[in-house]
Amino acid sequence: MDFFPIALSARVSVTATALTMLTGIPLAWALARRQFPGRRLLDALVVSPLVLPPTVLGYYLLVVIGSRGPVGRLLDGLGVSLAFTWRAAVIAAWLGSIPLLIKAAQAGFDGVDVRLEQAARTLGRTEWSVFWSVTLPLAWRSITAGIVLAFCRAFGDFGITLMVAGSIPGRTQTLPLAIYDHVQANEMAQANVLSLVAVVMVVLLLIGVGRLARLRY
Amino acid sequence: MTRRLSIVIGLLAWLSVPAGAQVTEVAVFGASDLALAFKEIVPKFERALSVKVTLVLGSTGMLAKQIEHGAPADVFFAADQTFIEDLAGKGVVIPETRALYAQGRLVLATARSAGPKLTDLRQLSEPRIRHVAVANPAHAPYGRAAEQALRAVGVWDELRPKLVYGENIRHALQFMESGAAEAGLIALSLANVPAIDYVTVDRALHAPLNQSVAVVRRSRRPELGLAFIQFVNGAEGRVVMKRFGFLLPGEF
Repeated sequence: MDFFPIALSARVSVTATALTMLTGIPLAWALARRQFPGRRLLDALVVSPLVLPPTVLGYYLLVVIGSRGPVGRLLDGLGVSLAFTWRAAVIAAWLGSIPLLIKAAQAGFDGVDVRLEQAARTLGRTEWSVFWSVTLPLAWRSITAGIVLAFCRAFGDFGITLMVAGSIPGRTQTLPLAIYDHVQANEMAQANVLSLVAVVMVVLLLIGVGRLARLRY
Repeated sequence: MTRRLSIVIGLLAWLSVPAGAQVTEVAVFGASDLALAFKEIVPKFERALSVKVTLVLGSTGMLAKQIEHGAPADVFFAADQTFIEDLAGKGVVIPETRALYAQGRLVLATARSAGPKLTDLRQLSEPRIRHVAVANPAHAPYGRAAEQALRAVGVWDELRPKLVYGENIRHALQFMESGAAEAGLIALSLANVPAIDYVTVDRALHAPLNQSVAVVRRSRRPELGLAFIQFVNGAEGRVVMKRFGFLLPGEF
């Protein structure tokens, strides 16, 4: 039994969730609080990763970051490869999970009373400080719900990862890909063990993350 | 501010750390129908040349797309030679390394749980057969062959409501192994499993399933990819391929 997929999935899902938080929370805040041209369009577009079939989405992503794509060629010149590395699995998981965090966080920000923010401003707080000490803490419950959903989606991603990272044993074969591979080979015992491992891992990680989230605010 | 910057820098640094083994000496990408045969050939090759092989199996169409976009394959065994021709035309594989390595055989399989085995394609119309598993004819070579054979004996239209399509040929087999389909048309190379009985389908009923291979141009070790092709087409490889029911170059 090969344990590499377990370690890889832990690494990919945690990294992708960090990336999703770094990009998704500011975007959700902008969508909830700022007026800018194309806001409604962007607001609708951010859910598109949930709409497209994952393998098709993975193919589009591959066209962009693969060796023939604009981003892929640029990075190739810098000596960095994205497609078919574990980084591609992170991008795949990020893309699949970010709509869940954005929508939850957006709802959270929408629910924060702007008068509280204004009160903080009248007391001399900068915008940055208002965000960190008023808006974010008040929206935090919704955001944690979004993080949990995003993490689970990132952990379980199959289709996008399969296309853009490949299912290369020992390199990009994450837990969901390994489980599928065992099922295809009719190795049900291994598939069952890995499925159990996946569920136990996510449950343990969520309990851990839940503790951390409560510590924070 | 510096703390946030350091989070971003830390994340980028973390992303630059490789995961898993970096030195895979030969990456072999192959069609799903090779799953069982290559499971035997790969260790023999590894021993003979003292190299490590990473085997990636999938549907030929998907693997071809991935290789076109830079997947780290050294050599690509397609289930249908048209994919290799297409990749050669695009400059993705080295045309001089193209070689036929097998001709696939189609079998009529019956799940053991569904009763006595079928011996003729027309028997698929029997009421005890409620689902017939085939690979998707739109893109899978064995699926296309299955459609041609069923059309040739004139039962395609009648069977259509019973057909269930697998993503690839291993998936079609799995429909029978799980008991979801009572019969199916699958690859002979995968048919030696406990759950099914089978008879081969007359080769004259479908276009030949000629399978070809080539070394990928981006490969950093083209000589090893070529060595693997020669191994499969050499004495040791041929014995295994034959045992799994492939017809070999020179035999068709």
